[in-house]
Amino acid sequence: MTHRGINWIGLWTIMRREWSRLMRVPVQAFIAPWISSLLFIFVFGFVVGSRIRTIAGHSYIEFVLPGVLMLNVVNAAFLQSTAQIYFQRFMRYIEEVLVAPFSYVEMVVGALAMTVVRAVVTAVGILLIGVVFHATRLQSFPEFLFWIVSVSLIFGLLGIAVGLWADNFEQLNMLNVFFITPLSFIGGVFNTIDMLPPYMRWIAWGNPFFYLINGIRHSMIGYTDAPEGLGAAVTIILIGFMGVAVWRLFSIGYGIRE
Amino acid sequence: MTPALHISHLRKVYRSGTVAVEDLTMDIQQGDFFGFLGPNGAGKSTTIHCITGIANPTSGTIEVFGIDAVKDYHEARRQIGLSPQEFNVDTFATVTQIVDWMAGYFGLNAKERKARVDMLLERFDLTQHAKKRFRELSGGLKRRVILARALVHDPKLLILDEPTAGVDVELRRDLWRYLQELNRDGKTILLTSHYLEEVERLCRTIAIIAGGKIVRNGPKSGFLGSPGGLEDAYLIATGAEPDHIAAAAP
Repeated sequence: MTHRGINWIGLWTIMRREWSRLMRVPVQAFIAPWISSLLFIFVFGFVVGSRIRTIAGHSYIEFVLPGVLMLNVVNAAFLQSTAQIYFQRFMRYIEEVLVAPFSYVEMVVGALAMTVVRAVVTAVGILLIGVVFHATRLQSFPEFLFWIVSVSLIFGLLGIAVGLWADNFEQLNMLNVFFITPLSFIGGVFNTIDMLPPYMRWIAWGNPFFYLINGIRHSMIGYTDAPEGLGAAVTIILIGFMGVAVWRLFSIGYGIRE
Repeated sequence: MTPALHISHLRKVYRSGTVAVEDLTMDIQQGDFFGFLGPNGAGKSTTIHCITGIANPTSGTIEVFGIDAVKDYHEARRQIGLSPQEFNVDTFATVTQIVDWMAGYFGLNAKERKARVDMLLERFDLTQHAKKRFRELSGGLKRRVILARALVHDPKLLILDEPTAGVDVELRRDLWRYLQELNRDGKTILLTSHYLEEVERLCRTIAIIAGGKIVRNGPKSGFLGSPGGLEDAYLIATGAEPDHIAAAAP
């Protein structure tokens, strides 16, 4: 029934279940981020963008769109994993997974799988819209995929932790308001590092969002503000650290087992 | 023979400090139909949660067919099917999805899943409700879905936590017949219930828990043989006075 000790069918079933849940709200899940990106392209590309000089040799929309894309990927990953875990806890059907033969690693992988799928679908949709409206291009698809998957893993893991911790809907959104949105806005979505006041530049270098935005931007338009290797190393270390932390939360039953 | 369930010195203390189960030791033999009785809050559901992985035991050991339910939880859980007291499902999912997903969690492939789901939906008279969402069903139908879900991977040990609470007489009788059939075919069943008639009719061994401790445990005949039958035995064991004893008191 299982192969090589991994409950593949079980993992696939978690994905099927989450896909079914996602398809109850397809507009919220996919259409909303695509429409918001379309509006960004219209405003920053045609309305405001035409009055702004180029940034680092790129039109303003070309420079901004990778950041906008990343914000939507962050949102998709974080919402997917928090909602998934929180609703399972809230309606208690997380017990279905607890009583089934899943290892804790499989529980974490299961919770992340649809998060990555949703994030990749969101990102590819925005990329296609950008390409169709001549607002962006794609330098390297493998690199693009690496960064999208990495971003979705980081914020998927963060979302799982929040989903396990939160006791009400208010708490679900706290991290987004006080941490994710501010850090992403000062991480270089709308500007290069050189455009920041000197005293704020060190914040950008210590801000993980900076490396993520930079990586996605490089994969799309070839522009980089930081060494690629450094960004990839920071990202992989972050994923490893957060993966172990979330695995530990599952193994001690934090938020899911009394 | 290895017992279907062996619990030794189980203790469960909740974060609030409440001691729900204290030094609980009991065995359930393979093939037994075991009644687990006790007042509300006595520790029945907590014990079941510790067995199935919904709660972490504070101390003690639990073995399911000789497999450690904590250290080798992965394998132990394959042996168990649980019908919990409260509905723990995605209420927006359909009847088929709920049963099919559980089969998938237990590693059944698509062909096996279809066969098991179809058989169980038919057995529990749910076929005509297969595409309905769980939230649209009546209480009795919901209970049937939970039972079908518990059985979908054909577990060796079936744990039923008040499976007939809130269901009509017809379904209760039908369910009794089905459980007896399953037990005759070799399935070990642990049943908790507040209906003593149900336990008296179905079970061969009975344990009574009160205040987190087993206060009486043995073959059903031992309970029925005492004056006043199972009801008096239950009331005495749990510290309540049977009516006729209370009436005779000065």
